[in-house]
Amino acid sequence: MAARQTARITREVRPLLSLDNHEARLRVLGLYRAWFRQIPYMVRQYSLIVDEDMARAKLRQKFMEHAHVQDIRVIDMLVVKGQQDLKEVAENWAMPTHIISKFFKVTVDDRPKDFMSKFLSGQD
Amino acid sequence: MAFKAVNLFRAMGRTSAWPVVAASRSTDRSMPVLARTLATEAPEAPQEETRPTVRKFDPIQRSNLMDYGQYVAECLPKFVQKVQLTAGDELEVLIAPEGVLTVMTFLKNHHNAQFTNLVDIAGVDMPTREFRFEVVYNFLSLRFNSRIRVKTYTDEMTPIESICSIFPAANWYEREVFDMFGVFFVNHPDLRRILTDYGFEGHPLRKDFPLSGYLECRYDDELARVVYEPVELAQEYRKFDLAAPWEQFPNFRESVPAVEDVPLEKGEPEKTK
Repeated sequence: MAARQTARITREVRPLLSLDNHEARLRVLGLYRAWFRQIPYMVRQYSLIVDEDMARAKLRQKFMEHAHVQDIRVIDMLVVKGQQDLKEVAENWAMPTHIISKFFKVTVDDRPKDFMSKFLSGQD
Repeated sequence: MAFKAVNLFRAMGRTSAWPVVAASRSTDRSMPVLARTLATEAPEAPQEETRPTVRKFDPIQRSNLMDYGQYVAECLPKFVQKVQLTAGDELEVLIAPEGVLTVMTFLKNHHNAQFTNLVDIAGVDMPTREFRFEVVYNFLSLRFNSRIRVKTYTDEMTPIESICSIFPAANWYEREVFDMFGVFFVNHPDLRRILTDYGFEGHPLRKDFPLSGYLECRYDDELARVVYEPVELAQEYRKFDLAAPWEQFPNFRESVPAVEDVPLEKGEPEKTK
C-alpha cells in the first residue's frame, strides 16, 4: 500500500528545460537580470507614466509572487512566458497600453477584504 | 532511422497493395504478398453504399490504407499504439509522444509513403484524461494521393518534440497549438504567441478557459487610453440543459461507425508510457 502510494506521488516526467533546481534557478536569475537591464530602455521607448524605480519595484514584486513555486517544470514554464513578454517589450511589438495594463493595473481596485469595505462595495 | 535491409525488402513486398507501386518482389518469408492482400481484402470488402446522402468510399483504397496502417505499426512497434480508420477511409495512427520525431521522419522519408506535405497540426483538449491534450498531425502524400493522420498526447507540463527540423511548415502550426492550448514544443526555433493579442492571458481553446476570458478592455476617459480589467460578470453561473428528449437523426443509427480499429498482426504493441 505504502509502496503504491509512493509510486503515485513520485512520477517520472520529461523535463521542460531544466534538469535540476540549480539550472531552473539560473534561468530565473537570468530572466530577472535581462528584465532589469531592459527597464531603462522600456521606460524610454514607450514613454511610460512610471519611472524606472517603480518599474524595478514592480519587477521584483512580479517575481516574488511566484516565490513559493517548487515544481521545476512550472518554474520553466513561467520563465518561458516571462521571456516571451520580455521579447515583446524589447522588440517594440507590444503597445504602452499592454505594458501598463499587464504590469501596472492602475484602474483595478483591490478586491475588498474586510467586512466594512465589502459592505460598502455592495458585496456580502 | 535504424532500418535493417530485411525490413526494407519486406517493405517493398508488402506495399505492392499500396497504389502506384507496381513492381512487387515478394521477399516476405512468412506469406506471399498477393495472397495476404487478397485474404485481408475478401472479408473486409464492405457492402456497396446505396443510401444517397452517405459518402461512398473505395473499398480497394480502404484496404490499402488498412494494410499501410498495419505496415507502419509493424515497422515502428515501439511507438505505434493503435491504428484506426475514421469516417470509413481515413487512416489514423496513434503514437506515443516520445516517438514523434521518429514516426514523422519515417512517414516523410519512407520511399513507399512519401508523406512530404504537412497539412495541419491541431490540438484537442479533453480535461478528464490523464494526458489531457491530443496533438493531431495531418499529412498528405502527393506521390500516392493519400492522406494520413498521426495523433499523440500530452499534458500541460509535458513537452513534445517540435517537428520543425523535419517539416519547416510546422513552425506556425506549433506556435498556434502552443498559443491556443499551452502545449510546449521543445527545440522549436521561435515559440511565441501567434493569434492572441500581446498581453493576453491564458490559452483560449482550453476547456477550462472561460467563454468571457479573464480580461475585458474598455476605453478610459480619464486616462485617455484603453485599459484591461478582470472580467466581472453581472450574472451567476447557470447550467443549461440543452439536450433534446428525442433522437435527432434516426436514419443514421446504423451508419458506418466513426472509428474502426485496424487489427495489428503482432498482438498488443509495446507500452512505452
